Amino acid sequence: MKVGRRKFLGLGSAALIGLSLKSEPRIEGSFVNDNFQLGHLLRDRAVFPSARRTEKFSIVIVGGGIAGLSAAWRLRKRGFTDFVLLEMNPQAGGNTRWGENEITAYPWAAHYVPVPGPKAAYVRELFEDLGVLQDGKWNERYLVFAPQERLFLFGRWQEGIEPAVGLRQKDRDQFKHLDELFAGFRASDAFTIPLELGLSRKFAGLDRISFADWLQQQGFDSRLLNWYMNYACRDDYGALTKDTSAWAGIHYFCSRQAEEKGPLTWPEGNGWITRRLLERVGDHVRTNQMVHRIASSNRGVGVFAGDTEFRAQFVVFAAPMFLAPYLIENFQPLHDFTYSPWLTANLTLERLPQSRDAEPSWDTVFLDSPTLGYVDAMHQSVRTHIDRTVWTFYWALAEGTPSQNRQLLLEKDWNYWKEAILHDLEHVHSDIRQCVSRIDIMRMGHAMARPTIGSIFSEERQRLNRHSGRILFANSDLSGISIFEEAQFHGVEAAQSALARLQGHPA
Amino acid sequence: MGILLFISVLLIAACGLIYELVAGTLASYLVGDSVFQFSTVIGTYLFAMGIGSALSRYFNRGLVYRFVWIELLLGIIGGFSSALLMLAFAFTQGFELILYALVIVMGALVGLEIPLLMRIVRDRYQFRDVIAHVLTFDYLGALGASLLFPILLVPRLGLVRSAMLFGLINAGVALWTTFLFVQQLPNHLGLRAACLLVICGLGVGMAEAKKITATAEDNIYADEIIFARDSRYQHMVLTRFKDDLRLFLNSHLQFSSRDEYRYHEALVHPGLAAVAAPRRVLVLGGGDGLAVREILKYPQIESVTLVDLDPEMTKVFSTNPMLTALNQKSLISPRVHIVNADAFPWVDSSTDSFDFIVIDFPDPTNYSLGKLYTTAFYRAVARHLSAQGFLVVQSTSPMFARDSFWCIAQTLKETGLQTYPYHVYVPSFGEWGFVLAGTHPYTPPTSLPSGLRFVTLGGLPALFQFPPDMAPMPMPANQLNTQVLVRTYENDWKDISH
Repeated sequence: MKVGRRKFLGLGSAALIGLSLKSEPRIEGSFVNDNFQLGHLLRDRAVFPSARRTEKFSIVIVGGGIAGLSAAWRLRKRGFTDFVLLEMNPQAGGNTRWGENEITAYPWAAHYVPVPGPKAAYVRELFEDLGVLQDGKWNERYLVFAPQERLFLFGRWQEGIEPAVGLRQKDRDQFKHLDELFAGFRASDAFTIPLELGLSRKFAGLDRISFADWLQQQGFDSRLLNWYMNYACRDDYGALTKDTSAWAGIHYFCSRQAEEKGPLTWPEGNGWITRRLLERVGDHVRTNQMVHRIASSNRGVGVFAGDTEFRAQFVVFAAPMFLAPYLIENFQPLHDFTYSPWLTANLTLERLPQSRDAEPSWDTVFLDSPTLGYVDAMHQSVRTHIDRTVWTFYWALAEGTPSQNRQLLLEKDWNYWKEAILHDLEHVHSDIRQCVSRIDIMRMGHAMARPTIGSIFSEERQRLNRHSGRILFANSDLSGISIFEEAQFHGVEAAQSALARLQGHPA
Repeated sequence: MGILLFISVLLIAACGLIYELVAGTLASYLVGDSVFQFSTVIGTYLFAMGIGSALSRYFNRGLVYRFVWIELLLGIIGGFSSALLMLAFAFTQGFELILYALVIVMGALVGLEIPLLMRIVRDRYQFRDVIAHVLTFDYLGALGASLLFPILLVPRLGLVRSAMLFGLINAGVALWTTFLFVQQLPNHLGLRAACLLVICGLGVGMAEAKKITATAEDNIYADEIIFARDSRYQHMVLTRFKDDLRLFLNSHLQFSSRDEYRYHEALVHPGLAAVAAPRRVLVLGGGDGLAVREILKYPQIESVTLVDLDPEMTKVFSTNPMLTALNQKSLISPRVHIVNADAFPWVDSSTDSFDFIVIDFPDPTNYSLGKLYTTAFYRAVARHLSAQGFLVVQSTSPMFARDSFWCIAQTLKETGLQTYPYHVYVPSFGEWGFVLAGTHPYTPPTSLPSGLRFVTLGGLPALFQFPPDMAPMPMPANQLNTQVLVRTYENDWKDISH
């Protein structure tokens, strides 16, 4: 009897709940933008077709990421048109690729550019071109809207990512002390963007130890401080502090003015910049052109893609450096380039999760999560009512070695990563499975150069940086840190170098 | 006797379900998040029923006597549960605590009922018949209650009186039981007196329910709620006390029909009457049609475009007779074009130009609304101003939210417009502020539409004067990337409420 009664109330209640709560929706999705198959062809020295056609250009740009597109932008701005850009993927953009669905455009990787300081002259020039900087003022719609960042820690939300709640006196003292040390480095003017403009031997010692060791030497043992430093290195370098050069760790915090306003961002992240660049140089861009060989001779350089040989006076090599030994004939093996594997996912949300006492922010981070949290693509919308959105979820696979993690990326199926992502989000958004309808995942085995110990002052890197020979290297890998400003700087510099030498000036 | 007994089963089953539904509904209505509320209330209730059933084994003697008392207790507690919860929400900080305590007590009592009843009747019937009959009527009662609750009880009686009605039924079953089992109740007269006392108490409660809800809603909504609707965008509540209609959106007062003319005349006329030959007007927000009512007092105006996010809002204010009487059917005027759209994207995409623009949004209580008070927004709006045009912005109270008011004024100034802040006293709001802005200097109007009750030519200059306690404050402009206004506004009101 008791059972019957209880069951009845239970059923009645279930029916009531059922009115507003349907069963768990199915989550669709797949891996997208996979390109390791092409890379593995090169690695395994597959046989490519021999050239049947020849095209001639003064300059051939290899790689359509920000470095390559910036080189193209510079050439066009100088009125130079005798060039072509070859991109292996169906979509140009490299780490600024973007996607779009019926809700919004969203990024696949890089999603913001910090407000450039005075030294980043090329970035400022570009932003003036694109209307981001008008009469010395940053366009309000492109600065990240408030509230910018939030961190979930100890069961609650706080604004900003640097932990500010649950700190003991020791933690506070250490954060303050570290700020003072960073202020000193900042004042030295040796930690600049672009990196090359400030690089000073005086601080070369910092490149010989890990950031973790440096922090320990300085007596920083606060757990929250170390979490924050690790977060920063994972976020910008895809690496833990123990795998990051102390110089690079310090650069992250000391290369920008402390009082600068929020970064510049767009729904599709830096894909917005790429779109604008493509509007300007798209005529010169050829996608699905996988270069498989670059051979120099006295007369010029042959760039082989498909069955075509592109003959050039100069090549701007803007593809990631790890490809160089596979593409360029007689190229010495590289030793000082390590790459961090990443995974990004775009989650389509049919509704926002319930979030107690916290307004949705642009960037959401969870304390002690192995992931980097997510960025809301609708945050830069001027709409007041937002019910559907896309979250870009970032996960630098920093624990363990890059090769192990690359293996993991290849072995595990979509369902594994989908569950891992939902599991991470569920800690904070318990109803996330009811909100998400789609999860697309992009795997990047070599997402970015990693500034390991010794990589910043590496001889090898500096040698490749000198624009001698007919192949001019331009990828952000040449700085050792993978950020927009560095890619753009090297792209523009390489283009200028090539132009100067075409016009008979010495390198 | 058999059928009478089983009808009691039907009735107490209905009571049990009603109390559960009342608690769940009130919790979702007051706190929100209905899935969470229903789920936890039901779960707790069922668990408490288990506790009641488990405890029933310790009742050994005087089962009928105890059953009557359980019914009476349930009648009192269940009957007053709804009123108690409303008062708890209005006057205490511990609504949830009281909610779950009540749910546990009621659940335990309901859990005791059936086991006791079955043991009372077990000697009269075969076991299998007891089970079959009791179960059948139990289910029937619950079905009846679950259908009655949404269809009849909530709309006709309301939550407070529904609970009391079923409290009365519980007490009635108690009284009835004293007659059914009179042989087993030596002290049946005392019990009957107790039953009558409870019935009287609940009867008085039913009669006075209005006062109880009124007392509770004084702290939630001051007056009787005559209309409440959840649209996709907001929670709309319309209340009435005598001839005073009040509209609340998400619990924020939008207007009181007694003095809204002060607000809307002041919002529209100082600016619009100063525009030479206005033909086209834009209203952003203001889905109540009250600003439009004032605008339509200018015969030369050919078209009014009203952009309001919520189609429910403009629909209700176009059709409800009480509301169309208030806005004089302004929204169904052929001169008025209603667009249900998010204002900022609409402003970005439209290419129309207007001679007067009214910006009448809810106060900047959150970052979403804050976007509509930024330099980026005002720049986008200003592009729609004709050469002789002005725009006016509802700018919260320069008295209670002085920093916020001057922040809005500064934000408009930052976009290169010339600004003319003014204020007005609206009894239900207090001192309220507006900022008039345009690309050219403002000259006060020389004539006004006839029939205004508040704005006069002679009174206009005083509106633009700010006494020292509302005088300008140096404030930064509000931008999308800083949203200083939202924080400022929060602080302003925090200061007031302490």
